[in-house]
Amino acid sequence: MFKKTASYFFILSGLIILWLSTSRAAMKYITDKRDNDEWYGTYQCMHGDLTSMCYLDIVRRFNPPVVMAPLKKPAIPGPRNISLYLHGDSYMYCSRTRRLNDSVFAGVGNYYFIDRNHGMNYHLDSSKKNILLIEVSERYLRAYFSGLQILDEVCDSVVRKKTIALCNNDFNNQIIYSSIIPGFHVNDLFNKYINQNLQCNLFNYNFIMPLFESKAALNYYVFNRASGDVVISADKNFLFLKETVSLTDGGSSYVQIKSDDVIRLVNNFNVIYDHYRQNGFSEVYLSIIPNSATIMQPKGYNNLIPQIQNDQNLKMKIIDVYDSFRKSTVLLYQPGDTHWNNYGKQLWLDLVNEKLLMETSH
Amino acid sequence: MTFISLQFLVFFMVVTLWFFRLKNQNGRIWLLLIASCYFYMSFIPEYILILGGTIIVDYFAGIQIERSEVGNRKFWLVLSIIANIGALAVFKYYNFFIDNIHSGFLFFGKPLQLPLLKMALPIGLSFHTFQALSYTIEVYRRKQSAERNFVVYALYVMFYPQLVAGPIERPQNVLPQLKEFRPYEWENVKEGLARMLWGFFKKAVIADRLAMVVERTFGHTSEASSAALFIGAVFYSFQIYCDFSGYSDIALGAAKVMNISLMENFKQPYLSGSLSEFWTRWHVSLSSWFRDYLYIPLGGNRKGEWRRRLNILIVFLLSGLWHGANWTFIIWGLLHGLFVMILVGNTSPLAGRNSVIIRFFRIIMNFLLVTFLWIFFRAENLQNAWIYIKSIFALRGGANFITLSPAEFIFSILIVAVMLLRERYLPGHIISKNNRFWTYLVSMLIICYYFGVFVENQFIYFQF
Repeated sequence: MFKKTASYFFILSGLIILWLSTSRAAMKYITDKRDNDEWYGTYQCMHGDLTSMCYLDIVRRFNPPVVMAPLKKPAIPGPRNISLYLHGDSYMYCSRTRRLNDSVFAGVGNYYFIDRNHGMNYHLDSSKKNILLIEVSERYLRAYFSGLQILDEVCDSVVRKKTIALCNNDFNNQIIYSSIIPGFHVNDLFNKYINQNLQCNLFNYNFIMPLFESKAALNYYVFNRASGDVVISADKNFLFLKETVSLTDGGSSYVQIKSDDVIRLVNNFNVIYDHYRQNGFSEVYLSIIPNSATIMQPKGYNNLIPQIQNDQNLKMKIIDVYDSFRKSTVLLYQPGDTHWNNYGKQLWLDLVNEKLLMETSH
Repeated sequence: MTFISLQFLVFFMVVTLWFFRLKNQNGRIWLLLIASCYFYMSFIPEYILILGGTIIVDYFAGIQIERSEVGNRKFWLVLSIIANIGALAVFKYYNFFIDNIHSGFLFFGKPLQLPLLKMALPIGLSFHTFQALSYTIEVYRRKQSAERNFVVYALYVMFYPQLVAGPIERPQNVLPQLKEFRPYEWENVKEGLARMLWGFFKKAVIADRLAMVVERTFGHTSEASSAALFIGAVFYSFQIYCDFSGYSDIALGAAKVMNISLMENFKQPYLSGSLSEFWTRWHVSLSSWFRDYLYIPLGGNRKGEWRRRLNILIVFLLSGLWHGANWTFIIWGLLHGLFVMILVGNTSPLAGRNSVIIRFFRIIMNFLLVTFLWIFFRAENLQNAWIYIKSIFALRGGANFITLSPAEFIFSILIVAVMLLRERYLPGHIISKNNRFWTYLVSMLIICYYFGVFVENQFIYFQF
């Protein structure tokens, strides 16, 4: 009787946990509920996303004191006649939940942040100078701009339908999810993130963390490496995301770049440039943020950023972060994080503001 | 859904427990078929249509072969072969064929652009088409009666433990087991779980650890030292063994838990004293498939010595092609064929002398030969393989691409030694005493957790 009851219990529990880990709605509900709980909450290391991913919070060299240099307001604020549309990613955040705001940009009257994961239907203000700034981190560059999905994701709200019809890319072909039961989608059955979700539901609790930290410590102190998707730099002072240093991943700083890849990217940037200029933007800027490995471990770098930025055929205006970062003597990245610190962010802002001030005066 | 994933562990627990709660075989077969469909669809859902199509053709072909007269029997067999080999030809070899036509025309200064197929290879296609073919051929040879129950036949092809990377089963072994109701047996559960854990250990602790070195040496060959390249090649020999035999251990273990015995796929291949012996111990289900359905029908050794050698060469060439649509696999198969063809029947000065030292010497020489040939198997193209081999023999300095710390390098060698000794002296997985079983289970779980390298690497043989 006991065995029978126990086996039914485990069958039911297994099915429930599989369902919870496939349903996007259920996962959202669970993570929202758990996020800030001390005991059963999701593990969030405060010293950087990479230390959090590899559970190396205990290693001081990856967790130096957080740079407390607050971002400066522009010295010359300018006439505020620009509507700035910033299309960007997590580099544009000040903290996990707070993004850069308009106070740090020069000459900007209206400011719109377009999260790359969500897109935007814009409506341009003809009384202002409309500038589109596309910020992309190096590791997403090839994956995202090998196609033209931005044209569908960032659309003029008036001509949206027309734009979609003209754009030929995979975004249009995405499967429309059909909901059989509220919160459950057919395609969720084969959710590609199911293993991450299962790990989150079964193990990713603060009270289990000593188990993960002990394995990470074993790997670090005995085998001198980090766990999972994180690797330690050659000089042992930084953590890098594995995909940014692998020899096969498209987001890597060291993967071989074919000339065809660069030509395709430049062509796509030109199509994007022409499209938004025709749709009323005064100028379109591109700013590629280098992987931390590109700057901190330059030996063997594949030169993707300079190859694109220096291409004679590229129409888009460039905000050259790579060159400035390479020459900087200040530490611009957090050792245990994929992102820059406030010095890096400020350097980028100074470059952006320089261009914006030029635009205000034209 | 790879075997080394949380999804598989939860899936396996649910399916196995549910399997034993069902009190009739019909229900169990339906459960396993649905579970196998879900398992296969978790890779790329749409590809089940290809698999489903060949299953339907083979099911009806089997029945028609059994019912028909002599001439028609051959027609239905040929239809089944065309359906299966056709699926392989289209989805696996079409682009390779077209690429080579392009290269040929380009060589003669006449560029040509034929359309290419823009889809990934359906996972495990080579495995389940060969398993399906063995069914229709056996029915044609009257060694197996046609299966009338469609669900049972579909499960024979789709049984999830061996669906995507074998063992390539024979209908005589699996079909009777699928039809027979077998009660829960704790001894089989223990044996199956112990074997699965051993497979997890080989994959997560050994293969994926060695892969860190292998990826580096094969990825940056031109910069690495000869010593690093040699170590990379040796590590690849053990990586592919632990990866593939680890998969087989998990597959056989998972089936054993449900009272189903699948055929052994590996018999300590690196302890072989010759290349011919190696092929009786490595991927046994494939080599025996080629023996039964190609080598013997070609005449085997019944048509003279030279014909025998030619047959060997043909079998190895096709075996290379079976592994992948790339010249590296074809050359790998061809070289194996040439070495076996040359060495078979030739008497060496050491022949007949079976002292421990001579046996040991033969094993080492054979291992080095197999390792050398694996370089073609692993390299991205023939040029890279050639550079790799040349660089090893150049005895040059260069970057030390071992990538592991000294402690982890020594640890890697130690665990390979432990694995070889364990399989040599304790080959079975039966642990009769319960307390020993639980101790083994807990110890292996702790070892796999703390020393496993969990990077979501696919099993190497999934690509075939």
